[in-house]
Amino acid sequence: MNKGCSTRIIAIIGIALIALLLAGLVVGPIGSKMLGIEPPSFIAVHKPHVQLPSEGIFHIGGFAVTNTLIASWTTIILLVGLFAACTRKMTLIPGRLQSLAEMAVETLLNFIKGAAGEDNARKLFPVVATIFLYVITNAYLGLIPFYGTIGIREIKEGQEIIVPFLRAPNTDVNVPLSIALFSFIFIEYWGIRSVGALKYINAFFNFGQLRDSFVSLFKGKFKSFFSGIAFGFINIFVGVLEVFSHFIRIISFTFRLFGNMTAGEILLLVVTFLVPLVASTIFYGLELLIGFIQALIFAGLTMVFGVIALTPHSEEEHS
Amino acid sequence: MEGIGINLPLLVAFVINFVILFGLLTLVLYKPVLKILDERQAKIKESIDQAEQIREQIAHSEEQIKTNLDTARKERQAIIAQATQIGERLKEEAKEGARNEAESLITKAQAEIKQERDKTIDELRQEFANIAILAAEKVIKETLDKGKHSKIIDEILKESTTFKRN
Repeated sequence: MNKGCSTRIIAIIGIALIALLLAGLVVGPIGSKMLGIEPPSFIAVHKPHVQLPSEGIFHIGGFAVTNTLIASWTTIILLVGLFAACTRKMTLIPGRLQSLAEMAVETLLNFIKGAAGEDNARKLFPVVATIFLYVITNAYLGLIPFYGTIGIREIKEGQEIIVPFLRAPNTDVNVPLSIALFSFIFIEYWGIRSVGALKYINAFFNFGQLRDSFVSLFKGKFKSFFSGIAFGFINIFVGVLEVFSHFIRIISFTFRLFGNMTAGEILLLVVTFLVPLVASTIFYGLELLIGFIQALIFAGLTMVFGVIALTPHSEEEHS
Repeated sequence: MEGIGINLPLLVAFVINFVILFGLLTLVLYKPVLKILDERQAKIKESIDQAEQIREQIAHSEEQIKTNLDTARKERQAIIAQATQIGERLKEEAKEGARNEAESLITKAQAEIKQERDKTIDELRQEFANIAILAAEKVIKETLDKGKHSKIIDEILKESTTFKRN
């Protein structure tokens, strides 16, 4: 009896959702164009306006405080406030809130331990965990309704747009770039710490072989000079490549996150415009998944580069 | 670069934001939680070690109790054996004493009896001598003086007693 009842409720909800989806299709721009009807004005969604740079909300001196910056502060306040509340009273037998904080830390720590090993995990943990928490919280907060909807009306290029007070920070290229720079600095720091500054820099600017070959030229050993000079130039070229690969990481980090998040945002806007009402719900689910994956990738890649930097590869250099 | 909105002051602001978040999370999340996790791990390890130690101790004391019981049993048996021995000896001694006493009593009684007999014999002899003298006096009045007479009888009696005693 009870079971039948709940099945019926599910069926009713399902039918209602399908009806809403069809209604959205009909009254949205697609349906109205094909059927030639004018949609009711309360359903009509503004044409999506794509704005890549974040918009300034107010100014402090010459510095424009943008909506992404405000959202970023919100994220920080939320994260720090939540975990400060969780860890206010630490006891050996944890309460509910403390368990939450412990679960978060343990899950991340175990994830790092799995790839980096017990010793490196403790070094990498704060950086990797902060990146993960920041990116995922930014992504998820961007999905709640206050973001991108409440704001100031402005006329731009003859079109009325809303400049929101809050905008998902990951869609501002400066946010992924700032995290990427932070990640880059820590990766280089770990590299220098594990092998020493001189040796670390030497891996990028490897003139040793070239110098040795000129030494052999002065000694009159021409054969070793020619082979040495070839390998010397190859080493220098490899060093340059290495330098590039490290700097390329910043760009790939930045645009992977920025691209995914911005595309997700635009996708939601377009879907909501084309098919109003319920269709965008599916894409919200997709965005939840993408937010998680992007946070995992950003933190995970930082971890992997960190492990590479922390593992001394002196064995390879004995040649 | 202007098209996608890279903006140096804003970038600096975000970097500062991230550093602040990093610092605050280290302060309120990573440090306390890692500390408590380590503490708990240490505590669990300690508890397990302690349990192990206690188990060992229990096994040790059990063994000790067993040895104690064994020694106690042995001691008890030794004491019983000793007591039996002492009892035996006491019994033997008591028997010996009783026998000795009885023997001494018998000897004493015999001696007394003998003494009594000798005394009686002496008395009898005295009596007998007196009676003999009296009789002799009556028989041979005036023939002999009393002193001479008594001397003769004494001599005879002496001979006879010596003879008798031997």
